This record gives sequence, C-alpha cells and structure tokens, in this order.
Amino acid sequence: MNAYNKIIAMSNALYNDGLEKAKVRDLSGAVQSLRKSLRYDKGNIPARNLLGLVYFEMGEAVDALSEWVISRSLQPKGNLAEHYLEEIQSNRSRLSTINQTIKKYNQALQYCYQGSHDLAIIQLKKVLNMNAKLIKGYQLLALLYMEEGKYGHARKELRTAAEIDNGNLLTLRYLREAEQKLGEEAHAAKEGKKDKKKKAMSYQSGNDVIIQPTNVRDFTPLTIIINLAVGVGLGMLITWFLILPAIQQDKVADAKKAEVEASDALVERNQEIKALESKIKGLEDTIEQMKGDSADAQKVVDNYEAFLKVYAAFAQQNILEAGDTMEGIDVNLLGAQGRASYQALKAQVDEQYTEVVYKQAEEDYNAQRYAEAVTGLEKVVAAEEDYNDGYAIYYLANSYRETGDMVNAKKYYQRMVELHPGTQRAGRSQQYLNQMEQQGQP
Amino acid sequence: MIDFEEELKRFKPSLEVEEAEDAIYDRDLTDMTDIMQEIFKEARKQH
Repeated sequence: MNAYNKIIAMSNALYNDGLEKAKVRDLSGAVQSLRKSLRYDKGNIPARNLLGLVYFEMGEAVDALSEWVISRSLQPKGNLAEHYLEEIQSNRSRLSTINQTIKKYNQALQYCYQGSHDLAIIQLKKVLNMNAKLIKGYQLLALLYMEEGKYGHARKELRTAAEIDNGNLLTLRYLREAEQKLGEEAHAAKEGKKDKKKKAMSYQSGNDVIIQPTNVRDFTPLTIIINLAVGVGLGMLITWFLILPAIQQDKVADAKKAEVEASDALVERNQEIKALESKIKGLEDTIEQMKGDSADAQKVVDNYEAFLKVYAAFAQQNILEAGDTMEGIDVNLLGAQGRASYQALKAQVDEQYTEVVYKQAEEDYNAQRYAEAVTGLEKVVAAEEDYNDGYAIYYLANSYRETGDMVNAKKYYQRMVELHPGTQRAGRSQQYLNQMEQQGQP
Repeated sequence: MIDFEEELKRFKPSLEVEEAEDAIYDRDLTDMTDIMQEIFKEARKQH
C-alpha cells in the first residue's frame, strides 16, 4: 500500500472513530478524531460534514457553517453540506437568533473580564435560553457560580452540559470540583450538628464524676411559674412597645392619608365652585350687556319711528305736529342716510313750522291764552328772534308779564327796546320796564 | 482548586456570522497529502 493510500486509510479510520464517539455523545472526542481525520485528508467530505454537524450540536454555529462551506467548495455536487447550509440560510430568523446568541455570549465574556459577574450571569442565562446547546455557555456560567460559592447551581449547569457532550474534559473537571465542594459543605454541616450534640457537662463531686448532658434541664414548679411569668411579661412588653405603636402608627398614617385625600377633594370642589361662580358672573354680564344692547336697539327703533311720524305729519301738511315731533329726534341715532334725510326734511319743516307756530301763538295771545302763547312764541323766538318785525318778542314779553313771570318779561322788553328803538312797541316796552323798576321787581 | 482568572483565559470570544467568511479564507487546509507532495517536490529538486 503506498503512502497516499495509507494516509487516506488513516483519515477514514479516524472518521469512523469520530462517528462512534458522536453516536454516544462524546462530542469533544468526536471533534478531536474528525479534525485529525481532516489533517490526514482534507478532502474527506463525510468527515468534514460530520464535524460540522458535531459543532452545530455543541452550539458552535459559525464553526459548523465554515466546515460545510469548505466541504461544498471542495465538492460542489452531491454533497450533504449543501442541504445543511440551505436548511440554515433559508430560515432568516434562525440565522438572526444564532448571531444574537454569539453577540450576547461575547458580551457576557466581556463582563467577566471586567469583573461584572452578576451581569455576566444574567447575560449567559439569556444566551442559554436562546441556544440551549452552547456547551461553553454552561461551562462559563458554572465557573461564575463556583466563583460565587454557589456550587449547587454550578453542578446543575454542568450536568446539563454533560448531557449534550459527555466527553468534555472541562465540563468533567468543573463538575468534579463542584461536587467536591458540595461534599465538603455537607460534611461540615453534619460536623456542626454533631458538635452541638456532643456538648455535655461533667464535674467532680467528691469521689464521683458527674456527667450531665447540657440539653437536659432540671425544671421545678417554681422555675416553670417564673418562666411563664417572664414569658408573659416579655410578651406584654413587646406588644405594648412594639406592636401597639406600629398598629397606632398605621392607623394614624391611614387617617392622615384619608385627611389628605379629603383635603384634596375639598380643594378640588372649591376650585370647581369658583370656576362656576366666575362663569355665572360672566353670563350675568353678558345678559346685562345684551339687555343694554337691546335697549339701545329699541332707542334706535323708537327714533326711526319718530322720524317716520315726522314724515307722515309733513306729508299731511300737519307742520305743527311734524315740527314738534322733530324736536324729539336724536340725530346721532340715525345712520348717514337718515341724517341726510333728516336735514332736508328739517329745512322744509322749519320753513313752515315757525309760521304755523306763530300763527297759533298769536291766536292764543289774542284769546288771552298767555301760557300757550308763551310756549309757541318761545319756539318762534328761538327759531328767529326778530320774527315778524319784533312782534314775536313783544307778544312774548307781554305774555310773560300777564302770567306773572316778570324776569322773562323784563328780558324780552329790553330786547324789544334794543332791536326796535323809536317804535311804538319799544316805547310801551320801556314804560313797562320803568313800572317794574319802580315797583322794585327784579 | 479552580482558579477563576486562569480558567477564564480558556474562554475566547466566538466568531460572529459576518466574520465567518474571513475565517474560512484564513483557514489552513494543509493536510498530510499536501505535506507529502511538498516532500516529494523537495526530493525531486535535490535530485
């Protein structure tokens, strides 16, 4: 057999050995054999594919993918590696999970280097949740537990790792350490109990050596009563000083809490009331304003009605009524058009009004209705002082004199004298003025 | 007795999926047959 065939044979033998070990779950042993097989013959495709499978079973996904990729490149056709790669790469979420697991494991390792053991433990638990076959994850977690003295936890993790790969030397070594430590602890605990049990008291009394166990006590009735009394007293004291104050404190706290809640509710209600009161005030103001607006609106309406009345009176040539009504009109309440109309109408009314009023007033004067005459003549004089060549003033003065209003009578007599001096009426006016002066009238 | 720090050195970071390609390219796939071929070449050269 030439050298080449020997190499191939050796490779195959190692592959068989690896296969046997993989079947009994000695994965670490299988890896060693298969790697040696590939050292002899890198073209041993079954060995490479099996190595990938074993790596995958140990949670080493990237190593598994590497072996299958190399296998496919060495033998592109009729290769199981193609099937394995498709299986993984077709499932995106699985690939993502694999990557996440690796990142988290590396993060956990980093925490270990930094001394953050708690964080490392948390992270490793997450990793093992995502990849329950990552052997080195279990090993690292167990190492951390052992460092913290939690050998029970460490043993649990290592046993899980051993179920996946029962030939892993590191797992076995850690497991032995954990079990040894647990054994020591159990032994120490037992010794402690025994020590307690061994305690006994011995003393010499004359020629006799008396050995008295310490856990046996000599109880007399008095002792029992005293013990009871002390126990009851202690219980009362504890109740009085510890339990009752605590209960009281709880009650006070509850009462205070209730008070605070009630106070908050009260404040809230008060605020609501204030808000409502403010709203009511606002509404009342609005109502008043609307009333005012309404009153103003009514004024405008009344004003326009009076204006219409003036028009109607003027149309019926009732100049007296038109003029009288016109006096009560508020020009400011009219619009621009209304004001223009008012001015035009007023001019026409005024032109005839004075004449009509004078005529009526004269009638009243002649009929000795002096009060009515004063009313009419006042309007005439207000419109035109020297109306009818001063007769309006003269008649007005006489009317005031006849009604006894000497003040106004004197006033208009003086105007008469001023406006029409040298006339008969002015002469008579002056006479009346002299009389009034003589009589001492103001 | 396990020394935590010493044991921790055994644990190395794992390769991520993105790094797999580079790892494959850097892999030394030399096997016995390659070594034998090298030996034969050397021997031929000498002779």
